[in-house]
Amino acid sequence: MSESKRDRSIPRRPLLWLAAALLFTVPPMIGSLASWVPGVFLLGLAMKFWMEPRGYRLRLTALKLVLAVVALFAILASYGSLKGVAPPISLLVVLMSLKILEAHTAREFQVMVLMGWVLCLCGFFLSQDFVIALSIMAAFALLVVALVQFYRGSSPGAFWPPLAATCKILVQAVPLIVLLFVLFPRINTGLRFDFRAAGSLSTGFSDHLYPGSVAALATSSDVAFRAEFPGSTVAPPGSMYWRGAVMWHCEGMEWRAPYVPVPISGLARELPKGNQVRQRITLAPHGARWMFALDRPFEIPSGAILARGNYLWSVQTIRKARRYEVASSVGIGGKELTPGERREALEVPPSISPAVRELAKSWATQDSNPRAIVNSALQFFGTQGFHYSLTPGEYGKNGLEQFLFHRRVGFCEHYAAGFATLMRLAGIPARVVVGYLGGEYNELGHFVLVRQADAHAWCEVWLPETGWTRLDPTTAVAPGRATLDLISFLERGNASAQMEARRSAFVTRLARSALFTDIRLAWQTLSYEWDSRILAYDADVQDVMLDSIGLANRGPFVLIVEILIVAIALLVIYFGWMQLRTRSAADRVKTLYERFCRKAARLGARRDPWEGPSDFSTRAALLLPNESERIRQISNTYIALRYAPESAGAALDTFAKEVRAFGAYR
Amino acid sequence: MKARKLPLIYPTAGFAGLLFVLGAMWYAASSQNNTAVYLLLFALTAVFLVSIPHTLVNLAGVTATLESVQPAFVGQEVSLPLEIMNDSRATRHGIELALSGSDKERQRIDYIPAHKAARITLRFPARERGEHRVETLRLTSAYPLGFIRFVKEVSSSQTYIVYPKPAGDVRLPSSFVDKGDGRPVTELGEGDDFAGTRGYIHGESQRHIDWRAVARGQPLMTKQFTAEAEGVVYLDFSALHFVDVEERLSQLALWLIEAERARRPYGLRLPGAEIPPAVGQSHFHQCMRALSLFQVKKQEVRA
Repeated sequence: MSESKRDRSIPRRPLLWLAAALLFTVPPMIGSLASWVPGVFLLGLAMKFWMEPRGYRLRLTALKLVLAVVALFAILASYGSLKGVAPPISLLVVLMSLKILEAHTAREFQVMVLMGWVLCLCGFFLSQDFVIALSIMAAFALLVVALVQFYRGSSPGAFWPPLAATCKILVQAVPLIVLLFVLFPRINTGLRFDFRAAGSLSTGFSDHLYPGSVAALATSSDVAFRAEFPGSTVAPPGSMYWRGAVMWHCEGMEWRAPYVPVPISGLARELPKGNQVRQRITLAPHGARWMFALDRPFEIPSGAILARGNYLWSVQTIRKARRYEVASSVGIGGKELTPGERREALEVPPSISPAVRELAKSWATQDSNPRAIVNSALQFFGTQGFHYSLTPGEYGKNGLEQFLFHRRVGFCEHYAAGFATLMRLAGIPARVVVGYLGGEYNELGHFVLVRQADAHAWCEVWLPETGWTRLDPTTAVAPGRATLDLISFLERGNASAQMEARRSAFVTRLARSALFTDIRLAWQTLSYEWDSRILAYDADVQDVMLDSIGLANRGPFVLIVEILIVAIALLVIYFGWMQLRTRSAADRVKTLYERFCRKAARLGARRDPWEGPSDFSTRAALLLPNESERIRQISNTYIALRYAPESAGAALDTFAKEVRAFGAYR
Repeated sequence: MKARKLPLIYPTAGFAGLLFVLGAMWYAASSQNNTAVYLLLFALTAVFLVSIPHTLVNLAGVTATLESVQPAFVGQEVSLPLEIMNDSRATRHGIELALSGSDKERQRIDYIPAHKAARITLRFPARERGEHRVETLRLTSAYPLGFIRFVKEVSSSQTYIVYPKPAGDVRLPSSFVDKGDGRPVTELGEGDDFAGTRGYIHGESQRHIDWRAVARGQPLMTKQFTAEAEGVVYLDFSALHFVDVEERLSQLALWLIEAERARRPYGLRLPGAEIPPAVGQSHFHQCMRALSLFQVKKQEVRA
């Protein structure tokens, strides 16, 4: 109950909450901040706690300006420019640190909290991962706590009371958040700004396959996509080859996909044969246009084309989580290869060394049946001492010859590229397919989680009887790779030495323990729900949703007005509820007595404004002889409750009951 | 004190900042089609909206009662002692009080527990002599988030009196209207003989305060000195030769204080009014009141 002058300094307690909140805002940005920025930020926070009780603060405008300019130049020096998204965010964090050192009034505290929310925004700008989302949500809630604590002033309780008040607000806010999130129109302003530096976000594989390009992904545990199988709670049997892109252009050990894939015309499309598998895929943003589906997709999701080679290609760059449904079929009916395609699928660069050409020729002269040639090649890889390794080392200029005859160690891209090139040399049309192999099946969420580490490359050859046929030369070298995800495979085999060096034995054992697996699966499920239900809820999904609840075809402004009406109704309910819960007992007694008087008036006994309760009771009892007993009872209780020194809660409840019962039946 | 039925809603300075942040979030979300930022935007909007009924309910059951207001001299401060009662069953936080005229003079009560009251004194400078109505009081709540505040206006019919500023350099007249005993009346209050102490009267010179007694924790006392015996003095408005009415009133106010301090019976003559000689607190205030209200038009009692 003390008065305080709040314009002198910021009290310690809200400052502590604010600091806690700000600590949660920084980790989501750490990857993009200049390395020294988090240090400056922490230093600023620590300084504030040292300075505030002593009354020190950044006062001189000149000093503030100098520090701001220094910060600007330091960031320019770290990044080289202010373009892109990372430098402005770094600058914002540094300016926030300066603001912390300067702030001392109530208004500035509010400004700091608002800046905290802007930092949350920056965090989501950089990434929308589930972990980051959790951190940002924590920061968001803690900022509310800081504000509540600030306005509580010296009220008792520094921890639970402000936390409880905030929880109450947040719980009441949830229906509103849901309402807004589901219904608020996503108006596209058309004011697009693209400040991502080129290639900064592009993850996963590229349209260029070269030795080491897939192996580079093998240690990344980033999620590539998740796949559900509608109508089925188990993963489809057999190896899951996720088709990403088809590469036609051969340069020996290097292969390329077309920059702009040609869509297959409707007539040329191959028809599905055999089992169909329907998948619902939630794709993590990767900054390119790859879309994945089980080998091979035949149905095209909206916003995508089916490119020549039967793979999906997004019309737009995928910069946010995307959800789509696609159907694949294991067997696809063969079509004749057009002469143009045949020529393209047999093209080899002139730079291939004679020894390699000789090897391919020898298989073709041995037996001209394509199947026999394929078998000879597979046998060659299986028996000539080839090794499967994550780190096969560099291959130089004449890489293919080195790989086939000397080193004989490689990762899947070496085998796929080498095999496809050999097939072309032997006269069999061949191409390389890149995508993912396998994935981890989540028992809780019934979905398959595919990570970047599952990236894979394999081949397809044209056989007259079966058309384009999948051949995975890696399986010839490392049987079993196709049925396991890469990490399990490496752990089982001897090739895991490099991986083991990275993870200590203890961590591996922990990661494989049952409890940890459960936690990991639960985490994956939550993360999946976040991606598939929240992040994937964009304008298109919203249209479908509005359609399904019958709110489609109304303008955004009508919708906003409707949302506003519901929101105001909700707020009025909240107010009424809180008002009723906190109003005093005296108020309640008065309201109840007024209700009694209204009822009595309806029955014929009107209370005059100057009439005391006991006078009225006597007169009303005479006027309404049937009710006289009850009238007397109610009046006595009222007088006791109103004028007796101490009124019990139980008496109030009986009074409420009596008033409710009065005049109810007659 | 009467309260208007519904509190009024006002945005605070922080509201502009909030709108800016919400706008930035909306722009970022819509231009990047970033669902996570949309979620953040809606969360902040919802939290702000929910804080509105919380702020409103924070004023429910809070009433202000004005206690009696002491008169003050022009140039001094008027003190309004207030009792802020919380009749509800919940603790109320961060209630601010201000007079509608001066928003700067704002007092804050951090919390009032359920069914408890807090006391607070609002001070503002007394500018004009006369009787004034207490201005409308504003009970303000910005808790919990401070982006908007609700203002409950409480008006009161109570008045307070502002006495004229005691000033002037004419000496207190010697008693030319004696009661016929022929005894000479000498200058009072400025002599050398210590004649005891009495309670300090607001507005009089602080020169004779018994500071040693104050240091001992006693209330403010004024030391009295007399040179000679006392006699009745008439303080006459028409006997002063200033042109300005206010100047004359100020001189009379100073004389009143001096005469009261000297415990010398004094009477007051104003055009159209006369207060017979006497001494003592109630007489003093009666005279002061007469000075305050002298020639004050009824309109000046501010509504």
